[in-house]
Amino acid sequence: MAGELIGNILTLIVLAGLGAAGVLAVILWKKNRASRVSFLRFVIQAVGLAALFFLFALEPAIPLLYILIAWFAATLFLGRFFCGWICPFAFIMDVESVVRRALKIRHRLLPEKLNVALHKGRYLILAAFLLLPIALWVVDPPPNTASAVMMGQLLAGPFRPYSIIIDPLIPPVVPWTGQLILGDINLSYPYVGDIVTFIEATPGQILALAFVAVTLIGAFFIRRVWCRFCPAGASIASLNQFKAFKGVPLLYIDKDEEKCTKCGVCKRVCPAQVNEVYEQKGGKINTSQCMLCARCVEMCPYKDALKIKLANKTVFESRNWLEPSIESEERKIE
Amino acid sequence: MSKEKTVERRYLPEISQKEMAELKNTVKTASQKIIADNIERMKKADPHRPEAMKYFDDIANLFGRRQQEIQAEKERGKKVIGYMCLFAPTELILAADAIPVRVNSGWYDTSKVGDRVVPVEVCPVIRSTIGAKMIELSPFLEQSDALISVLTCDGMTKLGEILSDQTTVWGMNVPRVKDSNQSLRFWSDEIKHMKAQIESLTGNKITRKSLKEAIANSHRATKAFRRLQDLRKANPVILGRDAMLVNQAYSWDDQKRWTEKTEALCAELEVRVQQKDWVCSPDTPRIMLTGTPMFWPDNWKLPALVEEGSPSGVIVADEQCSGERILNDPVGVDEWSMDDMLNAISERYLMASTCPCFTSKDGNEDRINWLLNKVKESNVQGVIYYVIRGCMLYAMEYSRVKKALDKINIPVYYLDTEYTREDVGQLKTRVEAFLELLNARVDF
Ligand code: SF4
Ligand code: SF4
Repeated sequence: MAGELIGNILTLIVLAGLGAAGVLAVILWKKNRASRVSFLRFVIQAVGLAALFFLFALEPAIPLLYILIAWFAATLFLGRFFCGWICPFAFIMDVESVVRRALKIRHRLLPEKLNVALHKGRYLILAAFLLLPIALWVVDPPPNTASAVMMGQLLAGPFRPYSIIIDPLIPPVVPWTGQLILGDINLSYPYVGDIVTFIEATPGQILALAFVAVTLIGAFFIRRVWCRFCPAGASIASLNQFKAFKGVPLLYIDKDEEKCTKCGVCKRVCPAQVNEVYEQKGGKINTSQCMLCARCVEMCPYKDALKIKLANKTVFESRNWLEPSIESEERKIE
Repeated sequence: MSKEKTVERRYLPEISQKEMAELKNTVKTASQKIIADNIERMKKADPHRPEAMKYFDDIANLFGRRQQEIQAEKERGKKVIGYMCLFAPTELILAADAIPVRVNSGWYDTSKVGDRVVPVEVCPVIRSTIGAKMIELSPFLEQSDALISVLTCDGMTKLGEILSDQTTVWGMNVPRVKDSNQSLRFWSDEIKHMKAQIESLTGNKITRKSLKEAIANSHRATKAFRRLQDLRKANPVILGRDAMLVNQAYSWDDQKRWTEKTEALCAELEVRVQQKDWVCSPDTPRIMLTGTPMFWPDNWKLPALVEEGSPSGVIVADEQCSGERILNDPVGVDEWSMDDMLNAISERYLMASTCPCFTSKDGNEDRINWLLNKVKESNVQGVIYYVIRGCMLYAMEYSRVKKALDKINIPVYYLDTEYTREDVGQLKTRVEAFLELLNARVDF
């Protein structure tokens, strides 16, 4: 009874908070053009988190499958949009950034080379995540058939990557599934489950703790540090690498070469340190490093130099934060 | 109170007080006449001139209201920091509660005085600025407690050195290849160093808050500035010269007031757009200027010729550091920490610049892109490539610009001149021939 009441109250608080954030988003949308998209994204991330929570908590088995299917389909069309706008793990990192900003602490950059290396190397990391259990199984076979079967299921061929995809998502959304237990406290954290499942208790816990510390502290100083090599991001991106799907992505950033002054703003504001938007001369930006968060488009100070396009239609274009009179823009020569 | 430097003069010759006073007097009188005359002509060209231009006519008098205001501020303890290139980070100056003023000289007569120091082959902007210093003509140059000299072209590089005979000059090294990380690092260090120098001169620390405010105010100015340029993009509601004067006045006016007055001007023009009250026939050839900067007051001859010729044109855009480039680029701050603000300032001044002193692996492509974009956005029909003799960098980039504009079938005319009034007749013929050609193309 009491638990239920508390649960309801908590739910109400969460909903009220989200509602307030929504109102704030509308106000900000009108007033502060230099951060309205970022804030909207923040709200969507929060709403996404709450929505996912309910989806997972209500009926664990079936919705999970649906989510996976929907996600799989959406990814084909939207690329890493998920990383930029929904991923709960990314949300944690963004919250950290907000805190850091509020404390007026400057962020650090990963060296460019390392960033690119991580980006390219993330398939290795993905492979490691996939192969680690197999290797461990070979080295140290499971004690009984039941657990062997379980592991076999986990590893089952092509479905395993999507378990990896879902991994960063589940613990923040459904806290009790986290496996990093310190004392009595369940520290739910992405990927920790994988680490502790396949590695013996103590080293596993130590490794898990180290992982948590590195990513948490790292993300405080380096924006979206995990996204640079996230296996989930890699899985998503790999979907778009198939030739058959090349034409499919509907959501992308488009750059107008003549309107770009090479001012470098897009490069500096990108939380993933993507260079391509700055360096590519024009046209569709091709990089799976970009998570389509739209920060660069929001901050680019020149009208229409950068655009986010959905199915070849512009949904959002640059220079919003220095908008001049609308009238004069619409004027055409007669 | 100007700090008299006791160092021996390395460049500037001694001029007797008497000669200096005489020269100053004649040039100043002549200049005041030219200012009045220019404004008179602008009024005549547009009998129905926007009300809001009155303010700018007033501020255009370099020996008038603004000089006195700055003097009063100085007496109250404010410092004045002059600069000679758009690369000077004015946000930092404003954040230290000092007054930024641009001090490049547009006076024809003082270039003759400058001839005593440097040969006539040198760019007249440089000679004229030297001359202005020698006879203490320019109010803003005299009021400056320090000068920021950015080493862009050869002339600017030596100009700072020559002026340092008489005032404090801070050199700023600008890397010539701008699109590389090491250049940006180097330039960021220059910016940080400049910040320290400004702080020590003014005695005011540039804080996160003051810098944020200065950047925000500059954003407001950019907004107003862009609003004005946008109004020039369609049917003409304002003469090119009027807009050019407004743009340039920013470099010596009080920032906040300039922004307000420009907004007022834009509001007035927007009403005219509603009423379809054009300043000249919408068929008038639409001209863009590019090349060497044109400084008020004397060097206003070309815009005047274009807009008063028969046939006449209207200047709808330019790519000049004395014009549309002044405020086109805002400082794009991501996080309002000191660090990011400084980075944003460094990038804005270095990377967004289209100055021909740069080269890169694509050549100075940014400038070409600017030109192409402006041609399209402002429906430009012809480009006048203006070069004053001695201005190497702009002269040398001409072929490239011509090729790019040829590709989109926009005629470009190379017009070279000097700091002199003697060639006005000849220029008039040349400009009119070009406008004639544009008219013929339109008819065709
Ligand atoms: S912010 Fe815009 S103008 Fe600046 S470099 Fe990026 S795309 Fe180009
Ligand atoms: S390139 Fe732009 S949209 Fe992509 S991650 Fe960076 S800031 Fe976001």
